[in-house]
Amino acid sequence: MIRFENVSKVYPRSSRPALSDISLEIERGEFVFVVGSSGSGKSTLLRLVLKEEGVTQGAVLVAGQEVGRLPQRKVPRLRREIGTVFQDFRLLPNKTVYQNVAFALQVLGRSRHAIRQVVPETLEMVGLDGKEKRLPHELSGGEQQRVAIARAFVNKPPILLCDEPTGNLDPTTSLDIVRLLDRINRTGTTIVMATHDDDIVDQLRKRVVELKNGHIIRDENKGVYGSGR
Amino acid sequence: MRLQFMLSEIWTGLRRNLSIAVSVMLVTTVSLYLLGLGLLLQREVDTLKGFWYDRIQVSIFMCGDDSAEPNCAGRGVTDEQRTALKDQLDQMKPLVKNVYFESEQQAYDRFQEQFRNSPLASSIRVGDIPQSYRVQLSDPTKYDVVVSAFQGAPGVGRVQDQQKTLDKLFTVMNGVTVASLGLAFIMIICAVLLMATTIRQAAFTRRRETGIMKLVGASNLTIRLPFVMEIVLATLVGVGASVGLLYATIHYLTGYVARELPDVAIVGAGDVWVVAPTLAAIMLIIAIVTSWATLRRYLRV
Repeated sequence: MIRFENVSKVYPRSSRPALSDISLEIERGEFVFVVGSSGSGKSTLLRLVLKEEGVTQGAVLVAGQEVGRLPQRKVPRLRREIGTVFQDFRLLPNKTVYQNVAFALQVLGRSRHAIRQVVPETLEMVGLDGKEKRLPHELSGGEQQRVAIARAFVNKPPILLCDEPTGNLDPTTSLDIVRLLDRINRTGTTIVMATHDDDIVDQLRKRVVELKNGHIIRDENKGVYGSGR
Repeated sequence: MRLQFMLSEIWTGLRRNLSIAVSVMLVTTVSLYLLGLGLLLQREVDTLKGFWYDRIQVSIFMCGDDSAEPNCAGRGVTDEQRTALKDQLDQMKPLVKNVYFESEQQAYDRFQEQFRNSPLASSIRVGDIPQSYRVQLSDPTKYDVVVSAFQGAPGVGRVQDQQKTLDKLFTVMNGVTVASLGLAFIMIICAVLLMATTIRQAAFTRRRETGIMKLVGASNLTIRLPFVMEIVLATLVGVGASVGLLYATIHYLTGYVARELPDVAIVGAGDVWVVAPTLAAIMLIIAIVTSWATLRRYLRV
């Protein structure tokens, strides 16, 4: 589903590469934790998949397409295949829960009929039914992250990228959020989650890819958080 | 649905940025008003040319009994001289289209009619304006031929071509046209800069929305069109306002000229409608190009 072939990324005006010579294969339907301390290259890895940044060397393939060769006008189509969740939720403060989720479909030109059907379904799935009319500031952090997950998943993308989705949440809420992601994963969605939340990684026992200074130092199935602790 | 969503996006955008949308509108109005005035002045020049070219272009004033012209040497024109002049004019067909003779009495009557409201009228007696041949040309630009043929001919006091008087007027009008077009140009530069600033500000205030749009894979068109349409709407209102102002100006002016100078042709409201599409097209192209170029720079994918 996602493949990195000898990928290096050097940001301009930076002496050390953010990623150097990374090779990684993530299969369809996998749940992968990318762990490592701040600055280890986790976010860069996700940004390369979204083509928010270009690679310096090597190739990133998403669903068989080489992202680096994709012309700019085809980037939106790539991003429709990928849902994204962030640490800071990124909800629109003046739109309700329902509107925030519907927005993702409206800007893709979906019909009103389809939106009316699929948004409530998605909200129910993330456990927010009954809270459609709330504004983001009237929700707890965990609920806001559920809205963000609903928005990322409402278009049923085959890939979900999560950049420290539990970074702003307490341990119990964090676990709830990751359980939700696990449930989404079971529908066949590939999930790549960058995190440094060791409790969660240890509890879920999924594949763990550990980055350090832009290198992969560990890649194991049913792994634990390990050395970075 | 798509359209409705787009419209609601445009509407919220305009409401959030109302003051700056109004300023885009006003700058558009003023620049197009000046541009429109320039274009209308040029049309007025053309109208006047047409108007005058239909009328007498060259007047050959003959000597009166007490003419001060050196060529007359104090003697009035004789019947033979007058007939010779007429023959010569007839030979100059087809350049000479029509020739009218105006006697001293007719000239006096015409003057009295034209200046009936002026104290000048009473100070003129029959004979003060000499008898003349009024010549209409088939090609008004070749008045020189006639002027040079009759200047200094026996019995001719003075040859006067209207073209010279008109040229002075046209010079003034062309000057005003250049001035108004120059001001319009400066105002249009202001409009372009203001539009670019507006887009930049709008892109900044809506960076959350556009960020999410990019993430979920909205097309460039979907992301950018609301911004462009906001500018286009403000511009359209500006176009409407400027056309309205031009119409009002011309309406007032035609009324004034019709009262004070009934003998002069002037552009009418119809000319405003002729100029309006040009104004709208110019400004819309500027608006679309400016906003698209600004968006390319400040709203990267």
